[in-house]
Amino acid sequence: MIDEGNLSLLTVERFKPWQRVLLTATACSATTLLATPLLGHLDLANIVMLFLLTVLLIAVSLGRSAAVLAAVLSVLLFDIFFVPPRFSLAVSNIQYVVTFAVMLTTALIVGQLAAGLKQKALEAQVREQATQALYEVARQLAGTIALEQVIDIARQFIHVQLNADSAILLKDNHDAATGPASLAFRIEPHLAQVAQDSGQLVRDSEIAGSGYASHYLPLRASMRTRGVLAVAFPADSIDLPPANLALLEALASLIAIAVERLHYVDVAHATQLDMVSERLRSSLLSALSHDLRTPLTALVGLADSLFLIKPTLPAPALETAQAMHEQAARLAGLVGNLLDMARLNAGNVTLRREWQPLEEVIGASIKLLGSALEAHPIRVALPADLPLLEFDAVLIERVFCNLLENAAKYAPAGTNVEITANQLADCVEIRVCDHGPGFPAGNLSALFEMFARGHGDSGKPGTGLGLAICRAIVEAHGGEIHAENRDEGGACLRFTLPKGVPPVLEEEGA
Amino acid sequence: MNAPSPKVLLIEDEKQIRRFVRVAVEEEGCQVSEAETMAQGLIDAGLRKPDLLILDLGLPDGNGIDLIRDLRGWSDVPILILSARSQENDKIDALDAGADDYLTKPFSVGELRARVRALLRRRSRSGEAAAPVVEFGAVAVDLSRRVVSRAGTEVHLTPIEYRLLATLLGHPGKVLTQRNLLREIWGPSYVESSHYLRVYVGHLRQKLEDDPTQPKYFLTETGVGYRFQP
Repeated sequence: MIDEGNLSLLTVERFKPWQRVLLTATACSATTLLATPLLGHLDLANIVMLFLLTVLLIAVSLGRSAAVLAAVLSVLLFDIFFVPPRFSLAVSNIQYVVTFAVMLTTALIVGQLAAGLKQKALEAQVREQATQALYEVARQLAGTIALEQVIDIARQFIHVQLNADSAILLKDNHDAATGPASLAFRIEPHLAQVAQDSGQLVRDSEIAGSGYASHYLPLRASMRTRGVLAVAFPADSIDLPPANLALLEALASLIAIAVERLHYVDVAHATQLDMVSERLRSSLLSALSHDLRTPLTALVGLADSLFLIKPTLPAPALETAQAMHEQAARLAGLVGNLLDMARLNAGNVTLRREWQPLEEVIGASIKLLGSALEAHPIRVALPADLPLLEFDAVLIERVFCNLLENAAKYAPAGTNVEITANQLADCVEIRVCDHGPGFPAGNLSALFEMFARGHGDSGKPGTGLGLAICRAIVEAHGGEIHAENRDEGGACLRFTLPKGVPPVLEEEGA
Repeated sequence: MNAPSPKVLLIEDEKQIRRFVRVAVEEEGCQVSEAETMAQGLIDAGLRKPDLLILDLGLPDGNGIDLIRDLRGWSDVPILILSARSQENDKIDALDAGADDYLTKPFSVGELRARVRALLRRRSRSGEAAAPVVEFGAVAVDLSRRVVSRAGTEVHLTPIEYRLLATLLGHPGKVLTQRNLLREIWGPSYVESSHYLRVYVGHLRQKLEDDPTQPKYFLTETGVGYRFQP
């Protein structure tokens, strides 16, 4: 069905030119033969009508050029076989010259009109069929759920409608158009790239029919060009009528829309998956956190409650209770570190960034550590013009707590711990320095690995997670953290936080 | 002289935690009753009219925040929250809903007793007329005359600084969430502009604290809000 419609434009050319000449000549001869016996019974004028009818029929069935040939032939045959003297071109009565002229003119005009109408009708039919086919393909593409289906449908359509091979080259993440590995024809990657980049049809008639795809149509969607449709025509139909080009362009738009729709289906799907796994992870961690903390809370509290027993327990028992409290608290700290690390390591840390002064979080950290810092006075010296910084206060508090705790652990009692900050071009650098023994010589960046212990055999309690957590937090904020030894002795940890553009603070009205 | 001992209702599903909390609170001279579930807790709160509620946020049978909202409809009993650290948002929601203070698990008996004492003290004082002059450290704030002085010298505060100070002083020991303070002082459209609050608390510390970087009175509850500790 579709096949016939598609080729119907060519019905006029169903016969080769020499066949059409032959058919025309045969038809005219047949008319002559048919009319000869009627010569005595019919007026010559009516015989002219028979010839005109023949021309009309030929124009309708064989087209414009055949109609011209038929017109000329009819006049000649009429002259030779019907106008006296018969069997000669000579004309006895001069009035027949007028007959010839009128006959020729009428035949030519009738032929032209008939052939033109026929062609128009054919074209309209072809257009309608193309529209129908496009509608059908749009319907199919709207129902696709995978790219392979889109490619198949497009290929099928082009094969049926245009008898050509095609391939869809999709733009992958690396911005290069990539296509299927095995094809019946070859693709000129350069032309495909030009089509992709320019968003315009690229064609090269030179290479058409040579086994290369000659037409490259960009798949323009609303957001961007999604790829290229490459079409290779067989060697015998290289010239592409404009109607077919329009058809291809319409198809390219439909494919682009389908590809874009599938792309967004994928995006939505991935986002949903992310959300589900994020929710699962966070509920898993908080369940774990609850289950681990509950017995620890009971342990810490129960150890404490031994002090409240009346009459008071003997001193050794109370010492044991105190030790139990400390060990349980340490375990709680360890669990906290592990859970934090799990949360930070799981990727996609959600930062609750807010603009705030640095000194506040430092103060809160010192307050939180409380008695752990008793033996180490903290000196905070921040420049007065330090801008507000955007960070997650809970996490940065954790960084300061870990750094201060480390300093208090390794530096001798009574020595100061210093916190300073200074502004660099696009970040603020913060240093936490102590007057302890410093880091052991060696690779200082290894300190930030998980379970790394600077003083491996120092006997200090710890898990080697503190600095790893600090690094994860600082890096999540877009900063860097480094360890170094001061020339005058003592360890120094410095980390940066990006400056950004702090929000404007409206001045207070009087 | 023998005032009736304060009644404390403890809502916590973990038996061992209930055990030591009860011991610690009884040591403060309170009568303790226990509830294991949210539903039971709400009934007991209505029946016993406790002077203090200690509530674990991680109860199995429901959301503690709903209980607080429900309770706040008809009672202003002080509420102390027990929560795990991973529940930052729950803490904020609970405080916004009307809870007074929170303890993060694990906590020591000493901390617990201090919080219980502070909340009960505030409760017994709530009947009295608010003192016109509040003093902490070297600072004296005369709320009736709106005059603030430090070591005898008057300190100039801007109107917003004064409003912030007065709000904090109005709830001694209570954790005020950022959201709460922003709404109270700057208005509802500022609840997301937490930097205002932070900058102004910084101003108060500069003007009233001995060491603004290590404040003693205007304490930060990181990620939650602020607390005035007299």
